[in-house]
This record gives sequence, structure tokens and C-alpha cells, in this order.
Amino acid sequence: MSRLASRLVLCGLTLLVAGCASAPDVPRIRIWHQKIGPERLFFERVIAEYNDAHDDHVVEVLYRENEEARNLFVIASVGGKGPELLFGPSDNVSVLALTESIMPIDRVLSDEYLAQFNDEGLIGWNDRPWMVADQVGNHLMFVYNKRFIAEPPETLSEMIALLTELKQRPDITYGLTWNYTEPFFFLPFLTCHGGWVMDEEGRPSLNTDATVNAIQLILDLRDKHQLIPGTTDYDTAEATFKEERVPAIINGPWSWTGYEQSGIDYGLARIPMNADTGLWCAPVVSSKGYSVNVNVPDEKLPLVRSVLEYLTSPDMQAAMARELSTIPVITEIRESEVMNENPLLQRSLSQIEVSRPMPIDPKMRQIWDGMRGPYQLIMNGAVTPQEGAELMQREVEKRIADTFL
Amino acid sequence: MKFLSNHSEKRKAQLFLLFLLAPTVVLVLAVVAYPFMFNVVLSLSNMNIYHIRDWDVVGIQQYVAVFQEPKFWEILFKTVVWTGVNIVFHVVIGVFLAVLLHQKFVVGKPAWRVLLILPWALPQYITALTWRGMFNYDYGAINLLITKYMNLSPVEWLTSPFEAFAAAILTNIWLGFPFMMVIALGGLQSIPAELYEAADVDGASPWKKFWNVTAPLLKPVMLPAIILGIVWTFNNINVVWLVSNMGEPNDQTHILVSFVYKAAFNAYRFGWAAALSMVIFVILFTFSQVFLNRTKATEAAY
Repeated sequence: MSRLASRLVLCGLTLLVAGCASAPDVPRIRIWHQKIGPERLFFERVIAEYNDAHDDHVVEVLYRENEEARNLFVIASVGGKGPELLFGPSDNVSVLALTESIMPIDRVLSDEYLAQFNDEGLIGWNDRPWMVADQVGNHLMFVYNKRFIAEPPETLSEMIALLTELKQRPDITYGLTWNYTEPFFFLPFLTCHGGWVMDEEGRPSLNTDATVNAIQLILDLRDKHQLIPGTTDYDTAEATFKEERVPAIINGPWSWTGYEQSGIDYGLARIPMNADTGLWCAPVVSSKGYSVNVNVPDEKLPLVRSVLEYLTSPDMQAAMARELSTIPVITEIRESEVMNENPLLQRSLSQIEVSRPMPIDPKMRQIWDGMRGPYQLIMNGAVTPQEGAELMQREVEKRIADTFL
Repeated sequence: MKFLSNHSEKRKAQLFLLFLLAPTVVLVLAVVAYPFMFNVVLSLSNMNIYHIRDWDVVGIQQYVAVFQEPKFWEILFKTVVWTGVNIVFHVVIGVFLAVLLHQKFVVGKPAWRVLLILPWALPQYITALTWRGMFNYDYGAINLLITKYMNLSPVEWLTSPFEAFAAAILTNIWLGFPFMMVIALGGLQSIPAELYEAADVDGASPWKKFWNVTAPLLKPVMLPAIILGIVWTFNNINVVWLVSNMGEPNDQTHILVSFVYKAAFNAYRFGWAAALSMVIFVILFTFSQVFLNRTKATEAAY
């Protein structure tokens, strides 16, 4: 063999050996999560610390948008695969449990450990707990720029008067903004008119006077008072608030640190009350937490337990409350001084007091999907309030019926 | 003995051919035939969120449900419009630019070629999301252009059904014409220069030359590309999905494939979505066969 050929063979073998070399053979615990912004940075930091402290297994995290994560998780789980842990909002639980994609959380965590959590910390469905939370929240609030608003309005009429006055300023484009594409943002207006998405028997209840009045209020804000933009989506609403062209926005806890980083001197308040009905504009509130893939083998469960206990521990929830202003779901931490250290948490809790818990029901998927299109048409002014309410009801009912096909 | 020897050689050649073909056959069976057959079975099943693990074959009821779905016919019509408008513009713009680039007087041809291929070279989702940003009502470049320089009212590109669908079509026209341009450029290179010289001698106008020389000789190159383009455009979920943000407003900007995707992965209606995807397959398969036969697209031009 010539020298050149020998070298080529040697190179080939080297590449082959290098290519075959794999990462250290330690079990991996994979987590799909939907944490964004500062919460994601915090999460990645604590995972790195966990990995530094453990040689016998490694935790890998992957960000996926909520809908994508849930859908892919179900499909992967049905195929016997998927990550060991999924982090997401509590309303995912019904779909995940119904499709047998996750296992009851009490199969993984002991009763003693679970006893530390309050009712918001353990998400149940069909009389079994399926998710352990690290926070409760996800609730919308009235976020205002203190440069323009000294005292937040208490009622919708006060809000309209205040924002109308502010809109006279040349540097203000609109008085208020929010995401027009997700019906999640419509619910506060529905609840303050006495409406809700389903009745006591779980049937959709959207074709009501409350829905019509809620739609009319929004259309009045847009057309009569001209306080909200003609069209907008989440990113545009965020950008206009951060650029101080709009003095107030309706948004949730995931956005607050971002406002701080943008240099906005912001305040949080309850979304105002409807003085006519005496009802607060109540957003939905839900916990966010971890569920365990049903395919995790028994021998791996102790490792999953170790990761879960680390991520949902009292210390972790206290650190999250301090750094991220999330509301803990461990009773001891919720009642501790941590809650008093952060004024944002107090205001956040004040909104939660007048919020509606997110229903844990698989029909919520069809309700959100069925409401989304009509909500967009309402916001575009393409349908009247009455037509909007009828369309919402029809679309939701059709989707629920279609699901059984 | 000679016969046996010949037979043995032939047999060896056959075995060798089989050996060479085997990996491809295995691959095609694994990634095309098996998923296709599985989809056929799913389309006859009741697989949905309530029966995702314990589904059964229930017959043709999902196909019946597809044709009973009121939105199916509306979306089929939109898909045909989407495909037709896109392909017409892809071909017209593509061939026009190719003919232009083929002219001797054009200076800096390589640079023009690179520039015109750019929309195709960029990842589709980046282009689609960029266009979505440009269609924003208040801050998008298109409306700023329309209001500032054309003195017209801003258009609700992404919030009105017709305009949102038009926005998706405009984006896809932008994305698709370079492919047709590249194919047409290749075809133009193969047309003998003598034919144009002969046409010049006969005193043919540029239009006559295009119609009587260029167009017929481009046909065998362009027709397969058009069929490919039709199938790709008919099934192009990316642009509609990203520009209209999953069919907004109110699911009125769907084409059939985005409707299938939403039914399967948003509503977990796997059986119904599989049935609809089989309907799409039959539509495209039938169209391709008829189009190929009618146009004799696979026959040589010379």
C-alpha cells in the first residue's frame, strides 16, 4: 500500500472512531418547556446548576411554543417516545390525560412531597393529580405607564375618561391596546358582563346578552371613543406600549420583566370593574407546571423525581418569586415573607382574587378555537355584536361535535 | 453449454441489478409506501382525541364527513384559485425575466441572475414572516408605501379575509417566480441560435419570434415544471400558514393542506384529516395524469 493510501485509510479510521464516539452514557432527562424571556434565562441557569451537581444523569431542555409542544408531545407519546417531562399551563392536562400521554403525578412524587402544595399547585382531572406546578398566574392585568398614568382607573367609565384625556396628547397614538388575535384577551370583557364560556353542565354558553354587551363595549372603545387600534396583534401591541405610544396595555406576567428591561416605569392594576354590573373584568388564571410522560420506564422514575423535586421545591419557588415575580404554589412559601418583599406580587395576587380559574376540560380546546375566528371578525368590525355572539356559539358547538367524528 | 453460460450471465446481471435496486426499494417502501398505506387505514378509522390509542377501522364515514363539511367546497375553490393565480404569475414573470436575461444587450447577467434567484434561495419561512410584517396595517412597509406615495387608504391586509388571502398569494408569487425563471433560462440555452437567425432572415418581429420559436421550444421544458409547480403550490402550507397566521381571520384563508394540518394537529381529528389528505391526493394524481396526457408534456420537441 502506498504511503498516501495508508494515510487515507488512517484518516478514515480516525474519523470513523471519532464519529462513533458518543456522549458519556448517562441517562438523559429531557424537558420541553414554553418559558420565555427572563423566566427562560432563569430556568436554563438552574438546570445548568443541577447538571453541575449531578454526574449520574443529565437534564436537557428544549423550548417549544405551547401549542406545538402539546401537539408534538401527544403524538410522540402515542408513538412511545417524547421527552420525560413537559412544562406548560394547567389547561393542557385534560388533553394530555385523556390521550394517556402522561402519568398521574402521584406515581412519581410521594404524598409527603405533594402535601406541601396548595390546591393551585396540583392539577387534577378525573380525580387524579396529573401536574405539579411551580407557579400560579398566567392572568391578564391592566399594565400602565406611570409616566402618563399616576393612578390606575377603578371602573371602565373612569378608564374611558382617563384614556380619552390622555389621547389628546400628540405623543399618544391610542389609549389602550391588547392582543386582538387570541380570545384569551376577550374573557375579561365577557366576565365583567356576567358571561362565561360554558354553563354549569359544561355546555358552551356564548350566545348570550353578556357576550353581546362585551362585544359592544369593545366596539365602542374602538369606534365611538377611538381608544384602541383598529387592528393589532400581540407583537404590535407590545411594541407600541414599549415605545410609549400607548399608555396602557392588557397583558400577563410573562411580559412584565420585559417592560422593566425596556425602561418602562410601569404599574400593575386590576382590569377595571364594570360599574353597571358591579363585576370586575376577571381574566382566567391558571397554574403552570410539569407533567411526566407515560412512557418513562420505572427505572428512570427516581431520576425524574429528583429533577421534579428540584424544580418545584420550596427554595426554587421562593427564588422564582424574588427574581421573576411568579406566585408560588407551596403553602409555606405563599405565606412567607417572600410575598411581602415584592410589591408586584401583591398586585398580582390582588388580580388573582378576582380571576376565574381556567377550566380543566378537553372541550376548552374547541372553545378557544371556536372563539378565535369570530373574535377576530369582531375586532375587525366585520360582524355585529349579535352576529359575533351567534357565530362564536355555532363555531364552538361545531368543533365539539366534529371532535367526536 | 453456451445457453447455460449465457443464462448464468443474464442471471448474474439480474441479481446485480436487484442488489443495486434493493436499497432504493427498501427506502421507498419505508418512507413512501408504508406511510401512504398507514394514511389509507387512518382515513378509514375513527382516530381522534377520544380514540387516539384505541382507534378502530369504521369504514368510509370520514370520507362522507369530508364531503359533508360545508367549508370543504369553499376551501377547495380557494385552493384552485390559489394554485391557478400563483402558477400563472410564476410562469409569466419567470419566462418574461428569463427571456429578458437571455438578450444580448443585458449587461451584468450573472449579477441579475443572483439577484432574481434570491427570493427562492432564502428560507421560505423567513420570507413569509418578513412579508407578514410588511403587511401590518399600521406599521407595515406596504401600507406606508400605499398611503405615503400613492395617496390611497391603508389596506387591512391581514384582518380582512379577501385581503389576507391576497397577501398570501402576493408572497407566494414573490417566492415562486425564480424557479420558473431558472427552468426557462435552461430551456432558452438549448434553443439553437440558427432558428432565430432564420426568423430574422424572414423578417419576423420579436413577438413572432417568441410565439413561433421560443414558446413551442420552451414547452417541453416548462410543462413538467408547471406540473411540479401546480403540485407544490397546491400543497404549499408554509406561506398560507405563516402569512395568515394559521388561516386568520376566522379560518378564511385556508387552502386544503392547511385545513388538513389544522384538523390533525390542532383538533386531533386524525381520521378525518387522513381522509381529506387522501382526497387531495386523488385530486392531484388525477390532474397530473390528465395534464400529462393532454399536453404530451413528456414527448420530445425536436
